[in-house]
Amino acid sequence: MSEYAKPLPRITELNEPHWEGAKRGEFLVQRCTACGHIWFPPSPNCSDCLSEDYEWTALSGTGTVYSFIVYHQGWLAGYRDELPYNVAIIELDEGVRFINNLVGVDNDAIEVGMRVEVVFEEVAADVVVPRFRPAAS
Amino acid sequence: MSLADSVLGKVCIVGVGATPQGSLPDHSADGIAIWALREALADSGLSKEDLDGLIVQPSFGGQGDIKEIGHRLGVEPRVGSNLSHHGAVIQYAAMLIASGMAEVVACVYGTNQRTNRNRFGSSVYHLGGNFDDVYGLSNPGAVAAFNYRRRMHDFGATEEQLGAVAVAQARAAALNPLAVYRQPLSLDDYLDTRYVIAPLRLVDFCMVNDGGFAMILTSPERAADLPVQPVTIVGMGAQSSFLELEHPNSMYHPSQLPNAELLWGASGLGPEDIDALYVQESYTPNVLSALENYGFCEFGTAQDWIQSGRIELDGDLPVNPHGGQNRMTYMVGWHNTFDAVKQLRGEAEEPERQLAGLETVLCTFSTGHWQSTWSLIYRGGA
Repeated sequence: MSEYAKPLPRITELNEPHWEGAKRGEFLVQRCTACGHIWFPPSPNCSDCLSEDYEWTALSGTGTVYSFIVYHQGWLAGYRDELPYNVAIIELDEGVRFINNLVGVDNDAIEVGMRVEVVFEEVAADVVVPRFRPAAS
Repeated sequence: MSLADSVLGKVCIVGVGATPQGSLPDHSADGIAIWALREALADSGLSKEDLDGLIVQPSFGGQGDIKEIGHRLGVEPRVGSNLSHHGAVIQYAAMLIASGMAEVVACVYGTNQRTNRNRFGSSVYHLGGNFDDVYGLSNPGAVAAFNYRRRMHDFGATEEQLGAVAVAQARAAALNPLAVYRQPLSLDDYLDTRYVIAPLRLVDFCMVNDGGFAMILTSPERAADLPVQPVTIVGMGAQSSFLELEHPNSMYHPSQLPNAELLWGASGLGPEDIDALYVQESYTPNVLSALENYGFCEFGTAQDWIQSGRIELDGDLPVNPHGGQNRMTYMVGWHNTFDAVKQLRGEAEEPERQLAGLETVLCTFSTGHWQSTWSLIYRGGA
């Protein structure tokens, strides 16, 4: 495996549970214990009720492509060497949206609304990055 | 008290100034801002001693700060402050004047981002920032690219349809002596232009350059003593928004809807009263959102509505008749107010560029990085 040149996660106290979960094959997001709202990427408080009490909960890892773009010019290390590459907004079945990449599919074959599922890529020693691929069925 | 009672009709722009746009390698951002202010003061017939307000928008990277500019100007105005966006600057200046807190307010912006190579390409867009680069998300244009891809899905929009914006703006810029990019662009040229972030092409993006603009605002009473034809603020709207890309309602600039409601409600005007529209686009899809959210066409139809020259200089609704942020100059909205005033005064530099029968103009402002919006309606005369 050639060395992974793309930016690695910068672990913080706030986001660490998400990246630790990825190592176990779980896609973890925050869930407010006061009102039940779920959100991602990590933020210190619930944007619905402003509570700072939350827990980390594993989501299904299945969802759809809400929108996607294809970079033909690159600014970031690693990605610059893989043009053109895609970035997608994924909407999980629980309603949470976030930025990610689609793997295992040609950029020309990506469609808005496509069903996708999470795949956990070990990109470096002890670093696992969740990405998404077309759903099996 | 409503906006109509307090501000609308009670504030005029009585001077505008511009530096050359493009590369100004021998000038600091502060120096460029002061250069623009010298031009605006000369235009208004006022002197720096007349200023009791000085509002500055620092440029990206923090240059152009009120303290440095105020010091270099050698003025001690009653009110001096930085604000984050052009729309907010003009509206604050208007409120200072309408309230009596100040009588003559200068609004100033200068940047040398091209010379400094202070650009946005590798900047991450949103608050989830420490996830963005892991997944390759960079450049605020990505937001507009997601927006247009979704429009293609939701409304059947095509890449060819989007080309109408870049073609119209290139045609306008070709006639504008201040424009940085004046080369013509046909629809075929557009479709031959390389992708930067598909579905957007190079000419769908604004490009960073150096330059500055300044405006002088005062009351209609004070304006009556000045040698210049005033332009009056007759409508204002604003709506802050901090939605992220992840939010279910983030795609089509939804903050423009309540902004438009305030704008039209307080002014008593509507889209049918607007003779020309200036959109701070940054990226071409933003023109489509503005046309829909301010009510010029039905939601989901702007990609059809803009065809057949409708938004070109001689169309039903000229949009960005200066060439926009993409083709005229990277001046984050300041160029809109400048050109609107010149057009309303009948002073477009070339006759072919002067809009005929122009009375009422809408300027809308937003940003590529976040979703807050501002709007102003200007009318020629006091």
